[in-house]
Amino acid sequence: MREGRPGATRRRLVSLMRLAGILAALSAASGCVVVPQNRRKHLADPMMRFDDDGLEAHKRQKFYTTREAAAGGDGLPAGGGCGCQ
Amino acid sequence: MPVTPLLALLATLAPPYQIDSVRFRFTQYDQRGVGYQSAAGPVGQPGSEWETVQQPQAEVVAHVGERITERLWVPIDVITAASPDHSVYGLPVGTAPPDAVTTASRINTAGSFDTLTTYRWDRATELSFRAAFHIEEPFESWSYGLGATRAFAEDNTVVGVSVNQVVDWFDHFNLDGTRNGRVNRSTTNVNATLTQVLSPYTIAVLSYGGTVQVGTLGNTWSSVLLSDGSRGEERLPRERLRNALSLRVAEWLPWNGAVKLYYRAYLDDWSAYAHTLEANLVQRLFRGLHVRAEYRVHWQTAVRFYTEGGEPLAPGYRTADSDLARFVAQTMGGAISWDFELGGRVRDVHVDLGYERYFRSNNLTVDIATCGFGLMF
Repeated sequence: MREGRPGATRRRLVSLMRLAGILAALSAASGCVVVPQNRRKHLADPMMRFDDDGLEAHKRQKFYTTREAAAGGDGLPAGGGCGCQ
Repeated sequence: MPVTPLLALLATLAPPYQIDSVRFRFTQYDQRGVGYQSAAGPVGQPGSEWETVQQPQAEVVAHVGERITERLWVPIDVITAASPDHSVYGLPVGTAPPDAVTTASRINTAGSFDTLTTYRWDRATELSFRAAFHIEEPFESWSYGLGATRAFAEDNTVVGVSVNQVVDWFDHFNLDGTRNGRVNRSTTNVNATLTQVLSPYTIAVLSYGGTVQVGTLGNTWSSVLLSDGSRGEERLPRERLRNALSLRVAEWLPWNGAVKLYYRAYLDDWSAYAHTLEANLVQRLFRGLHVRAEYRVHWQTAVRFYTEGGEPLAPGYRTADSDLARFVAQTMGGAISWDFELGGRVRDVHVDLGYERYFRSNNLTVDIATCGFGLMF
């Protein structure tokens, strides 16, 4: 059995938080540009939706959270239902 | 007090109720592979993870008055061989009934009743409340969620936060199949999302999700293959803290298409960390007819107490669950969808058909076929 390395986990958590900060800063900086509503028609195209519909999104989320230990934890709670971790 | 006039009065005062859409989806999963947590195999070897799942779902979305939108959703899973032969430790497959205590190993039917109510507070702010109940043998679950979104900068920026709570109750089984009362677990999840318009053709979503789980975090019947060839019980910590950070970007393409990219980093205090990359390409062939191709790759490390041959007398945590192992998983698939106007009371009709294959480096393959049908009013 492999033993745990709490120090490595803490370093990775710090890296994750640093990445979140960088991405948030980049996103905030891009927010200085405001695209007026009359120039956002392509963004409103149904092809641009991240999830086609709620049922398709559930299919994907349930599939991955029941088969991958590292799935879940964002958007919807992980671990509910199906007796899985 | 007369009831009929009271109901008539309430019906008069109630805001108008209008169904916006009705959707159905059916998905079939065929899974093949082996894992060390399964006892359905030769002595000292990983066992079968074969199963099939039929998953029908139905959803109705309606609005009540100008401010309230209600979503009612019922997903069902019919799972065959959910944990094949888990009570037949050390015996060849087929020499005994698959399960000593429950029928969940043969066919397990799981269903949920899920409602989401969204209230538009003002032009820029929405509040939401979710309540759901899930039941399967031998498992029940309640979940609640609260969320809020607020738009800024002429809707170029949307900030959202949500908190969810799930409480599960389920039977605890020993490895010999005897029932050992009920156990529970709690899952608390907090999310923060930032959606940002980057250009007239590009939009991005940055999300963080943190989840704390407390209680019995396994299904209690997964076994661990031991170095002497026998099998012992899985032992997991009673707490788990999970962190996930994701970035999604969608770009409109000038030839009537769109490309969507997704990256996700994951880390938890069981020492599992993962990276997931996904690309999704959509092309409009002509009005209403779309084709989609997608590819996903997921790298994951094992949790620190994963083992494929534990010492029989060793204390401490241990698991042989192949889902908690180190692996690389890939998904490739495609879909075709058609949306067309019908006129009259039904405004639009949607149909789609899709296929995906999921395969991973530790011997698991799943074929997924799905079809959807929707009516928009």
